[in-house]
Amino acid sequence: MLNGGGGGQKKRNTKIEPYRHRVETDPKFFDKSWRKLHDAIREIYNHNASGLSFEELYRTAYNMVLNKFAPQLYEKLTENMKGHLEEMRTCIEAAQGGLFLEELQRKWNDHNKALTMIRDILMYMDRTYIPTNKKTPVFEHGLELWRDTIVRSPMIQGRLFDTLLELIHRERTGDVINRGLMRTTTKMLMDLGLSVYQDDFERPFLEVSASFYSGESQQFIECCTCGEYLKQAERRLHEESERVSQYLDAKTNEKITAVVVKEMLANHMQRLILMENSGLVNMLVEDRYEDLTRMYTLFNHVPDGLATIRSVMVSHIKDTGKSLVTDPERLKDPVDFVQRLLNMKDKYDNIINVSFSNDKSFLNALNSSFENFINLNNRSPEFISLFVDDKLRKGVKEANEEDLETVLDKVMMLFRYLQEKDLFEKYYKQHLAKRLLSGKAASDDSERSMLVKLKTECGYQFTSKLEGMFTDLKTSQDTTQGFYASTSSELPADAPTMSVQILTTGSWPTQTCNTCNLPPEIVSVSEKFRSYYLGTHNGRRLTWQTNMGTADIKVTFGNGSKHELNVSTYQMCVLMLFNSADVLTYREIEQSTAIPAADLKRCLQSLALVKGKQVLRKEPMSRDIADDDSFCVNDKFTSKLFKVKIGTVVAQKETDPEKLETRQRVEEDRKPQIEAAIVRIMKSRRVLDHNSIMTEVTKQLQPRFMPNPVVIKKRIESLIERDFLERDKTDRKMYRYLA
Amino acid sequence: MHKLGRGSRDKVQQFMAITGASEKAALQALKASDWHLEGAFDVFYSQPQIAVANTRHLEELYNRYKEPDADMIMVEGISQICNDLQVDPQDIVMLVISWHMKASTMCEFTRQEFIGGLQSIGVDSIEKLQAKLPSLRAELKDDQKFHEIYNFAFAWAREKGQKSLALETAIGMWQLLFAERSWPLIDYWCQFLQVRHNKAISRDTWAQLLEFVKTIDPQLTNYDEEGAWPYLIDEFVDYLKENGLA
Repeated sequence: MLNGGGGGQKKRNTKIEPYRHRVETDPKFFDKSWRKLHDAIREIYNHNASGLSFEELYRTAYNMVLNKFAPQLYEKLTENMKGHLEEMRTCIEAAQGGLFLEELQRKWNDHNKALTMIRDILMYMDRTYIPTNKKTPVFEHGLELWRDTIVRSPMIQGRLFDTLLELIHRERTGDVINRGLMRTTTKMLMDLGLSVYQDDFERPFLEVSASFYSGESQQFIECCTCGEYLKQAERRLHEESERVSQYLDAKTNEKITAVVVKEMLANHMQRLILMENSGLVNMLVEDRYEDLTRMYTLFNHVPDGLATIRSVMVSHIKDTGKSLVTDPERLKDPVDFVQRLLNMKDKYDNIINVSFSNDKSFLNALNSSFENFINLNNRSPEFISLFVDDKLRKGVKEANEEDLETVLDKVMMLFRYLQEKDLFEKYYKQHLAKRLLSGKAASDDSERSMLVKLKTECGYQFTSKLEGMFTDLKTSQDTTQGFYASTSSELPADAPTMSVQILTTGSWPTQTCNTCNLPPEIVSVSEKFRSYYLGTHNGRRLTWQTNMGTADIKVTFGNGSKHELNVSTYQMCVLMLFNSADVLTYREIEQSTAIPAADLKRCLQSLALVKGKQVLRKEPMSRDIADDDSFCVNDKFTSKLFKVKIGTVVAQKETDPEKLETRQRVEEDRKPQIEAAIVRIMKSRRVLDHNSIMTEVTKQLQPRFMPNPVVIKKRIESLIERDFLERDKTDRKMYRYLA
Repeated sequence: MHKLGRGSRDKVQQFMAITGASEKAALQALKASDWHLEGAFDVFYSQPQIAVANTRHLEELYNRYKEPDADMIMVEGISQICNDLQVDPQDIVMLVISWHMKASTMCEFTRQEFIGGLQSIGVDSIEKLQAKLPSLRAELKDDQKFHEIYNFAFAWAREKGQKSLALETAIGMWQLLFAERSWPLIDYWCQFLQVRHNKAISRDTWAQLLEFVKTIDPQLTNYDEEGAWPYLIDEFVDYLKENGLA
């Protein structure tokens, strides 16, 4: 084996040891170090920090902590700062009057600057000793000392409250104060901790504010109108909000608002809202939108505030509405009656829209109020129908169809409130019939538009017969055309032209069948029409309704003047008699025409006694018509117009007996409807108890009318009697449907 | 024979007087009900009738009373029956007999009704029927039977072809029936009907009045206006209150 040259030399391991510096604790180390810091802090508080060496001071503190003197350092620091603060306190307390806050502020600034520097010097302790031992950091500790030594010292604390609150009071009473100073002072309190601000300022502030506003509200409510008072309250709320934004903590806003609301609004809510001559009711009556808006906005802050306003509004609307619908004077003019309702609805819709933010709860309250009082007058259905009649007649002043459409939409809202919609339907049918048959309907489109609204509201069944009326008129036109097409060659050249309206029984309001003696010229044409019609419609029956209808008559008066008269059928029958007689007595006219007495008298009054329309002369000239009174053509008749319209019967509100009769017919019509509802329910349920039937029937029929529980009960008994229903053998309250 | 105590003897006599049963039958029923009189009635009436009627005798009986020229017993025949039974035609026991016969109409018995009815109660002679009268009358004491007889009376008393019962007839029937039941308001009810109603009575009202009598106390403290009573009864209650009678 070959041995390497040079031989093996063992490797030597070298170890370098660190340099050890032996430090012996200097018995005077702490005292000397603290002396440095103490002196420096004094210079800092004396505004002479510029000569200090930050680095040296930092190192001093650093070494103290390293040498385990942190506790002593912390304690010494506390004592030292407290000493300085006590000196500051003396200066602050010595400040006179208005200088108090300024001095406080100045010292606070000094303290903060000092704290910043001290914290920087003691940074190492803040990072090590203090967290480890759960001490308060230097800066926060300094703030706490300021709080306890100065802000909460007996002499300063009370004075601080008083000064701040006094300044606020002066501002509230119109003075200009130093807001900047206020802001820095309150900020100081917040910097000391939110609880300091809340406990040492906010709470007494709120208490004093409550007292202030309590006093002010007492004073104002005695001498102000409601509107003025609310304006003042609003101003105060704005002022307080601005004050918060200027120099208070933002969270105070909600609290001070609550105080003002409570003292100025909530505590006087009833008195304000109900204030005589200026409260809510007066605002409503006088359409004071601005005041109403303010009231709504302000009382929105008050518990039950809006509920109270709504309640008073409802009471007022119900009272006003009740007066309107029960005033005998108002009942004389149905159109005016309904117009006032529409105006009232518009008024409150506007108020709610403009002043009450279109609040749904107010809209609902308005609706239920109207529903409440409209149904207090059981003639409302008739009057609403008469109003519609007035709007849909020819000659109405409505400028255009768009306006008419708007009015009809509004009327539909009133209709929606009716509890007896079936009664409205009956009247509407009567009035529609008169419009259609007299040729007074202004516009087919408008009529059908109204029908669409009713159908939308109440369903097809409600309007099916009404639509049948339109169908009849259309069919009648076609039939009349067919008649003349097929018979024109048979008619004399001078035969009067006839237009026939064929009315399906059941679609039209029930009419007593009155046939009078038609003039011979008319009879010949009408009998030809009858033959034609019955010849083309097997099995039909045709009955003339001479109490309806109109006629156009050409007249040459004795003085030579020529006119075309538009008259009713009855009036035509009367006038034609004078082609062959100069003078006729009432009795003779009645015998010749066979027109019922009441109709005939009304007819003759229209012809002889209406100023400007007197085509006949009556002897004697009295309103009443006696059997022996005589009539003759007025040979001196004149008129500026060629076409003269003699008055025809316009839809009038019913007399009391007529009203009673209509209501009785409506009640009779309800019975089969109630019975049908019962049968429908029982057919689907098979077995059902008494109270459930009552509830179910009421629910089903409610859109048309409110069924009378007694009538429902009687219908049930009738169905039992006729073996549609039976009582359960074991439970007498249970009914069974018998198939 | 066991010698009965005085109380027991009285009960036997009472039972025999009410039901017309034999002493033997009375003893059996009372023993079975542990000597409670009401229970004894239940026992007695729940037993099937043992007697078998002689059909030939019934045929003879029917022929004796029927119309000469019609296959039906009518007013004259019924009057004769009442004479032979020595009861008034207005006596409620005639209603009970009619119920047994399932008679369709008052004052008429068909052959089937007459013969079938008498068979069902086990008699084939006037003498036996007469002997049976007390027990027939006693059936009105039984709630269930009274209920059936009451409802039977409506169709029985009704005019042929009518759905309702004429008011005067209804009043007469009610007075007859409630004489058995002592309803305190019967007179007010009849007075009310004549003053306020004056129309025929429906079957439902007739039936429900009995329910009213059974369930509502005479002071009306438990009357429920939503209790599905016929409207006429509602009106009667109002009438009583208006007149301070309840």
